[in-house]
Amino acid sequence: MAPAVVARVLPPVGSTVRPGLEPNSTLVGRIDLTSTIARFVVRPDDGVGSFEPGQYFALGLTVDGRPLLRPYSTSSAADTRTELEFLIRLVPGGAFTPRLWALQVGDRLRIGRPKGLFMLRPDDRRTHLFVATGTGLAPFVSMVGSLVRGGATAAGALRAIVVHGVSRVDELAYRDRLERLESDGVGLRYVPVVSRATDPANAGWAGRTGRLAAQLSDVCSAQSVDPGSSVAYLCGNPEMIATAERILTGHGFAEDAIVSEQYWPAA
Amino acid sequence: MAYVIAEPCIDNSDQSCVSVCPVDCITSDPSVDRKFYIDPDGCIDCGSCETACPNQAIFRADQLPAQWVDFAWIDATWYRDPATARDAVDGAATAA
Repeated sequence: MAPAVVARVLPPVGSTVRPGLEPNSTLVGRIDLTSTIARFVVRPDDGVGSFEPGQYFALGLTVDGRPLLRPYSTSSAADTRTELEFLIRLVPGGAFTPRLWALQVGDRLRIGRPKGLFMLRPDDRRTHLFVATGTGLAPFVSMVGSLVRGGATAAGALRAIVVHGVSRVDELAYRDRLERLESDGVGLRYVPVVSRATDPANAGWAGRTGRLAAQLSDVCSAQSVDPGSSVAYLCGNPEMIATAERILTGHGFAEDAIVSEQYWPAA
Repeated sequence: MAYVIAEPCIDNSDQSCVSVCPVDCITSDPSVDRKFYIDPDGCIDCGSCETACPNQAIFRADQLPAQWVDFAWIDATWYRDPATARDAVDGAATAA
């Protein structure tokens, strides 16, 4: 039975829109890695509540009187209490990110509650293989930071490998931090992969080159990853995730030892 | 293409969709509303709500069953004129 609705023309926009979504945070820092990739630091008015590393938050702006929100995983460790950091790529022509890029430090924005189930499993002592492309690294920076601060990687208690694929060297966000953790001997191995070997911007790059997925099997072998005692976390574009899942399964990973988070086509 | 909450949600709201929506674009006023509403201008088409709904009430707008196609208009209208949307929900509930 059809509902009793006859009019299809929408009424004009009124004042009753998305109650409770007013700005509640301040942009307190911003680091532009490239013209299209930046780290944004947001300070919620009421501090940072409890969240699990790997979860995301909706960042929101008010556009023409209406809220516009997009979800982003934080790269902050779970013990942070004052500020949250996000690694974001500008999508030219998108509805949200060009407006985000226009913000200045001190501008106001909305941040939602933590959401998502892409998180570490409690007391998991398997080798953690974190595989990310682009800004998909963010949740792994949060996870690694939380593991390290929690002491899980100390004294060989945990082994973690971060594989990060980008197009250009200057897109290797958090490279310094991850290299420092690696040299600190906390049980972390950092494997950056740059895809465009011949790009002048990558001149002098001596690390791995090529598509991340194509490198993955070799990385597993080089790092002596035992599929039977490892868990893989994947985050990035859907194509990479599908390819990586196939490669890891072929390498011996059980399906339930692969956890993935696809980033939505962006905005 | 936004998602839409259709007739099975009326008087049967369990709120699973609200908790999983990554952009907080599902809401209602529980004191007066009989269902939840998705803001089509905020929806990013992730489909999380459709998966979470235990009542199978949520559909992509272009995949709404024929008898519920007007709920796309109802959801969009709620974010502009809630009273009109509520009247339409009452009508839909009566018709069902």
